[in-house]
Amino acid sequence: MELQKFTYDNKLSRLFLYATVFWGIIAMLVGLTIAFELIFPRMSGGIEWLVFSRLRPLHTNGAIFAFVGNGIFLAVYYSTPRLLKTPMYSKTLGCINFWGWQLVILLAAITYPLGLSQSKEYAELIWPIDVLVTIIWVVFGLNLIMTMVKRRVKHIYVAIWFYIATWVTVAVLYIVNNLQIPTSFLHSYPVYAGIQDALVQWWYGHNAVAFFLTTPILGMMYYFVPKASNRPIYSYKLSIIHFWALIFLYIWAGPHHLLYSALPDWAQALGVTFSIMLIAPSWGGMINGLLTLRGAWDKVREDPVLKMFVVGVTAYGMSTFEGPMLSLKTVNALSHFTDWTIAHVHIGTLGWNSMLNFGMIYWLAPRLFKTKLWSTKLANVHFWIATTGMLFFSIPLYFAAFTQALMWKQFTPEGYLAYPNFLETVTQILPMYYLRAFGGTLYVTGAILFIVNVWKTAAAGKFVRYEEDAAPAKQTPKHKEGIHRRLEGKPLQFTVVALIVILIGGMIEIIPMYLVKSNVPTIASVKPYTPLELEGRDIYVNEGCYLCHSQMIRPFRSEVERYGEYTKAGETVYDRPFQFGSKRTGPDLAREGVKSLPNYKPNSWHYNHMLDPQKLNAESIMPPYPWLIENDLDVSNLSSKIRVLTNLGTPYPEGYADGQALADLNAQAKEITSDLKNAGIEVESNKQIIALIAYLQRLGVDLYNGNSQTSQLSNQ
Amino acid sequence: MASENIKQQNNEDYEIDTLTNDRLIKDHVYDGIRELDNDLPPWWKWLFYITIVFAVVYLIRLFVFHSDDLVQDREYANEMKNVAAAKASESTTPAAEFKVELLTDDASLAAGQETWTKICAACHLADGGGLVGPNMTDDYWIHGNTPQDLFNIVTNGIIEKGMLPYKDQLSNEKRMEVVSYILVKLHGTTPANPKEPQGEKY
Repeated sequence: MELQKFTYDNKLSRLFLYATVFWGIIAMLVGLTIAFELIFPRMSGGIEWLVFSRLRPLHTNGAIFAFVGNGIFLAVYYSTPRLLKTPMYSKTLGCINFWGWQLVILLAAITYPLGLSQSKEYAELIWPIDVLVTIIWVVFGLNLIMTMVKRRVKHIYVAIWFYIATWVTVAVLYIVNNLQIPTSFLHSYPVYAGIQDALVQWWYGHNAVAFFLTTPILGMMYYFVPKASNRPIYSYKLSIIHFWALIFLYIWAGPHHLLYSALPDWAQALGVTFSIMLIAPSWGGMINGLLTLRGAWDKVREDPVLKMFVVGVTAYGMSTFEGPMLSLKTVNALSHFTDWTIAHVHIGTLGWNSMLNFGMIYWLAPRLFKTKLWSTKLANVHFWIATTGMLFFSIPLYFAAFTQALMWKQFTPEGYLAYPNFLETVTQILPMYYLRAFGGTLYVTGAILFIVNVWKTAAAGKFVRYEEDAAPAKQTPKHKEGIHRRLEGKPLQFTVVALIVILIGGMIEIIPMYLVKSNVPTIASVKPYTPLELEGRDIYVNEGCYLCHSQMIRPFRSEVERYGEYTKAGETVYDRPFQFGSKRTGPDLAREGVKSLPNYKPNSWHYNHMLDPQKLNAESIMPPYPWLIENDLDVSNLSSKIRVLTNLGTPYPEGYADGQALADLNAQAKEITSDLKNAGIEVESNKQIIALIAYLQRLGVDLYNGNSQTSQLSNQ
Repeated sequence: MASENIKQQNNEDYEIDTLTNDRLIKDHVYDGIRELDNDLPPWWKWLFYITIVFAVVYLIRLFVFHSDDLVQDREYANEMKNVAAAKASESTTPAAEFKVELLTDDASLAAGQETWTKICAACHLADGGGLVGPNMTDDYWIHGNTPQDLFNIVTNGIIEKGMLPYKDQLSNEKRMEVVSYILVKLHGTTPANPKEPQGEKY
């Protein structure tokens, strides 16, 4: 066999390594900032681009797409050429991939603080950036696939399987979830509404966790764990079974984010059952990672790289057991909308994603810079600080979640809510928020040690731009192979099969939600938003109110007593995007406008509350939004918005966009302004606050207007 | 032994990993990474089977038997039915029959203050000076100033002005406590930023 010589170019590996480190610390610092904002709500100082609701998407997107994202590209660009014994297909595509991705991150970091958001979780980017993301992702895929075409190794290794699944699935998820019609360069409405939008969003959101935070990291694990430990993979058979089971089952599990919501029972049941069936396939990855270390446990004691891998993979195992448990309806009834969700995802990000990233970079840096790690001792210190920080972050939040959920559900013997004031349940758990911020501080401290170590290592060594390697040309197998082995030899077919496997679950869940009318029963009294309410809603969406306030009353006595009749699917049909939310840091707002319910507040209360929440509730942790009172409402886009909504099926009268909509908007604004005037508040009718109040006062009203049975219910 | 036979048959395809004595698959080498030929751990297989059985049973219970705990509307209806039964068995006095009497003992007033701070302060402020709702410390009253007047307002609200009814959130006794707190303690004090007088002087 004649060996062919070729050269790996480490340029992109180095760039992605720097980007991972840089964005990692930024994402964590933003996270720490918002952790403190929850304790000191006035910390943002009334400055709009520092408020919690605008920074929170920056933190989540930063952690997912910037920190983990660059880490994924680093893993792929470093390991793929070595596994396939060929350089990456195109340096140009690689450069576009790198700089394009950094541009996306930069644009996200600019647009979120400016209050430009679609307010769909982890899909907050506005449409022009969505287009850019799609282009970059296609460039990445092209580079990956063409490298496979040019490979010298006949069979693709399990790490590559996971890279392929990542690429095809993220492409499908991202495009389908972001289908929307622009109304202007910065704004658009999704083609889905209400409960349907919710299903598509959580099909995306859940599988962003699956195919952006899990499968590529498993690929990373399959390359770097055996490399760093110099041990063989525990079981090739397990690789096959858990890979296909994982990608097939994962895609179905999205509805577990919508348990006890207005989603039909059948869809919820699929979410529950497929989540439970995910335990074993997920643990297959954990076992294959941990058992690969058999025979190397003595190394684990000394090597910070392996230590991080062990804690990371173990955190993955914990998280993928906890996730299915949270998908059981009885557990979810308690956990949903509380800090349990936050604790759960941070075991995943701080444990699994970050530890794997850290370990990978501690292993790679000395190799890319041809030197030893600057300080193994410091890396060990980092390991312990990070692990402790993760525990300090999560454990208090579990306490907080239990405490608050039980308080929400507690009734007095006379049958009244024991804690009718939502704020009381927040004040109770505030000490846990202090501990969380302390845990976060520890974790960030560890990350700073990491940066110092990587920096010093890079400075001490010399960057190895090119690495020579040699391998024989691709061979045809000598004897007959099994079916899976044959597929491993055909990466393009592999990609197509993976695509088919991941499409099944999504299609079976999403298509009936559109075609079967009974899934979203119509409610006659539910009418489209007035133009002013619509503009107010767009402000609500842009500001990210949904991050702390849900709009989904679950069918429990404790919620119906507190918030009013539970939310019906038919009520959400004009909501583009849906705003159910997934966390109640503040109370639910689904029936904020219903005058006969305990949550109702007059216009003047909303005005004062936005201006200075602590004046009304000294212990409130809501940040002030004074700019809503100063800023004019921009109505230049109104007719375009009405036109787009009409095209999407919202029944506005014919020709409503031309003039009448604006006239109606002004009339309603005058009404609210004069009501505020009666309450002693002087404000011009063209301010944003007026539109937002109009929207808040509309929330949940229609059902009560049309249904005498419901109004009786609540008046009992 | 059957497994022994297979091992011998395919011996040339495998090598032995010296640290674990497991079989390495000979032609699986990727950038130096090897793979072992281990079977799926039996406990793992059983775990997978059990979750599949769980899923099948769960789906049958919903789609075939329409079990009460899986049909959401029915689960809710049952919860509310039980509550209604429990409520009916207890005899709470309707607000109209409750005997309104100003409370002056320290315990009741302290309890009233607690309710005030938790609930009423959101609109009337903690010191009673008023902001969204009227000032409760001055001598001006919009809807009367007798204990009965205040009790009625707290019970049924003045919905058109934004005052909420609390009959479903606070018991008769709790409402009486807070009314007493207003009239005995709060009234006549000097708040930091009093709202201008509203209503008539009494």
